[in-house]
Amino acid sequence: MTAYILAKLFRAAATLLIAVSMVFVFIRFSGDPAAALAPPDAPQEVIDQYAEAMGLNKPLWQQYASYLAGLARGEFGYSIHTGRPALELFLERLPSTLRLGSAALLIALAAGIPLGSFAAINRGTRIDRFAMAFSVFAFAMPNFLFGLCVILGGALIFQVYFGGTDASVLPAALTLGLAAMGSFARFARSSLLETINAPFMRAAEARGVPYMRRLAFHAAPNAAIPLVTLIGLSLGALIAGSVVTEQVFGWPGVGQLLVRSVATRDIATVQFIVLAVACTMVLVNLLVDLLYLVIDPRIRSR
Amino acid sequence: MLKLVRIALGAIFLAAASFAHADERPAIKVAVDNLWPTMDPVIGISTTGARVHSNLFDTLVRRNRWEDPEGTTLVPWLAESWERKSPNVWVIHLRDGVPFHDGHVMDADDVAFSMSEERLWGEKPLAPRGTRYARGIVRVEATGPLTVEIETSTPDPNFIFRLVTPLGFVLPKHYYEEVGTEAFGQMPMGTGPYKLVSFDPSVSVEAVANDDYWGGSVPAKSLTFQIVPEYSTRFAGLVAGEFDVIVSVPADQAEQVRNTSGVKLMEKSIENYPMFAFNTLSTELLPDNPLVDANLRKAMVTAIDRDGIVEALWGDKTFVPAPFNFPEYGQYFDPDRKARFTYDPERSKELLAETGYDGRPLVWHITRGFYPNYEIAAEFMVEQWREVGINVEIKIVDNFSLAYKRPFHMLNMSMSSEFSGDPYRPLWMDWGPLSSRTRASHKTWAPTDRFLELGMKFESAQEFDARNSAYLELVEEWENVTPGMYLWRNVVSYAAREDLDWDPGNSAVTIFDDLYLGSS
Repeated sequence: MTAYILAKLFRAAATLLIAVSMVFVFIRFSGDPAAALAPPDAPQEVIDQYAEAMGLNKPLWQQYASYLAGLARGEFGYSIHTGRPALELFLERLPSTLRLGSAALLIALAAGIPLGSFAAINRGTRIDRFAMAFSVFAFAMPNFLFGLCVILGGALIFQVYFGGTDASVLPAALTLGLAAMGSFARFARSSLLETINAPFMRAAEARGVPYMRRLAFHAAPNAAIPLVTLIGLSLGALIAGSVVTEQVFGWPGVGQLLVRSVATRDIATVQFIVLAVACTMVLVNLLVDLLYLVIDPRIRSR
Repeated sequence: MLKLVRIALGAIFLAAASFAHADERPAIKVAVDNLWPTMDPVIGISTTGARVHSNLFDTLVRRNRWEDPEGTTLVPWLAESWERKSPNVWVIHLRDGVPFHDGHVMDADDVAFSMSEERLWGEKPLAPRGTRYARGIVRVEATGPLTVEIETSTPDPNFIFRLVTPLGFVLPKHYYEEVGTEAFGQMPMGTGPYKLVSFDPSVSVEAVANDDYWGGSVPAKSLTFQIVPEYSTRFAGLVAGEFDVIVSVPADQAEQVRNTSGVKLMEKSIENYPMFAFNTLSTELLPDNPLVDANLRKAMVTAIDRDGIVEALWGDKTFVPAPFNFPEYGQYFDPDRKARFTYDPERSKELLAETGYDGRPLVWHITRGFYPNYEIAAEFMVEQWREVGINVEIKIVDNFSLAYKRPFHMLNMSMSSEFSGDPYRPLWMDWGPLSSRTRASHKTWAPTDRFLELGMKFESAQEFDARNSAYLELVEEWENVTPGMYLWRNVVSYAAREDLDWDPGNSAVTIFDDLYLGSS
């Protein structure tokens, strides 16, 4: 078991290093940050001055070495535009992103899992088909389209503006949660179906365990394992914010900050956001792996 | 019970009374696509910066766009008057009793600092982007409490025009020095009609009326610029009454705005001209560039029906300029002067026959979505070139640094004309020996000896006649070479709630003082 945990930890560290290195390289090759900072008609000297101020005139390996050294010291760099620490910018945005993301996740869980379970129990009936058609639609509907429908519908029909943080979180959260709801419903259904038809369920039935008890205490815990993975991934993605939904609803979260920072080649900010997202993802994955040990005795005994 | 009623009535009365005293001016909210990261009026030179910081700061001199959309007249503003002491020295007399937002009264030291060597034109200036506006300045000196002397290395009869540019913004020296360049850009302070409350470059700028404004009453109690990146969301916010003004209505959405009740569309042609430059140079990555031949470039210009394209895309919102013949240049503008190379497919074929062009594709770098309608116009143009036998390939890229990456045969760009009294900037600053067209890593031409010689003549001419004839000769030489092609005058669009009495004139800068915004 110690070997299992150590291997997971090592893999987590390697993943992080690869993530930060790739961002470091790609953002530098996708356009000169100094030129992005200066206006299109800026003379070369101005661009050079920016490059010098940002340390971009040094050789790439030197920039990389000082970046890694900074990370080791817990220094994440400063936004080139505002001169403020990248960490601070990120933390400022985090609450509104978490507010939107957790509301969306809650909607997705509260609607998706019951919907999927209900479909599984009523397998093959019209209810099942309707529930699945709905969840496929929810999953396939691009959220920029749904979001625009919501926001334009609100304004043109009801004269209400659904954008921004002053408004209720509900329209934006519904838009963001829709796709996740669809995939929760489908996962819940297939996972539950698999367990319902498993031999141990028939054994339980033979022992005379009542139907509801069989569902709640025998089927559900076994069906939960793939769902835990899925929820874990969703939690990790929460930190990154939703680029599209935040953009459409004018929601000032991490996703918008990321888009903006990439567009303006704000290196430190992009690097930090990617690092934060990678860290969260890795951490959540680690937790999910550990959680398996708790919920699945078979893994524990390996 | 009666007592309770009496208390309730009293409370209602009090509430009503305080309501009557409440500020009845509107709170103006503008939804913008983006905000420049700093509100320093020089470091923040840009549309997304100027439309905000022009409400916080005043310039020494202004243009009268509230009376004339082109704004061709200079209006004394923080500078009350000026005179030319000697050919190279201008004296500026400042308005008395103008407070900054902290109450500190503006004086000559603030102006001298704002235009100083340290800030704009020295070896390592605090705001390097000011160098262009400060060219030729050798001395800026406060010679009295409200008098400033500015000396230029060569005589500049049009110097005062520069004071309407970012060079003319006056910053508080005491505050700037206390907080430093970066912090100043994040928490700027000027003398303007609105004073800053908060600024988050990735979210919003909030400002309130400066009730001690020297220029009189301020028509709105507050002014907010909020980032809403998605156009449809901005539009939804306008329709729902969340915003009073939204910027950047895409050209293909204009009709929808016109057809929506309660909102109005405002389309303004501004002093910026989308164009493309021919790469006239053979470089390492483009060894035998066919565009080195001027006849091929001229064949390309004469193959394009620009008037037809502009008519189809813009209607009467804008026009195709003859090279450097821009209406904002008063007496230099000649409505009858036509471009030497205009649409003429026969002439185009003749010119093409004189070249050794072998039909190889010419690559045109275009920045995605940067200039409204540019990509659509480009599609039309590619077809018209194909008709005469020239093969152009459009390559759309995401940003300018990718567009600048060689090799390319043609490069999209725009040129702002800058109100400087004469066509000095678009012609000499943008194509002369110091321009990025000539010197940057993405340079596209080398000025001819004759162009340089005429430019010098233009620069040193003092009287209108001499300057005008040098200007016309310079244009002629530019057309001889034809290093680029101007497409049309750029158009910016706003949508606003229908009853908002506001008109920015032909400008991308949105000012909400009482000259532009009615107090209804």
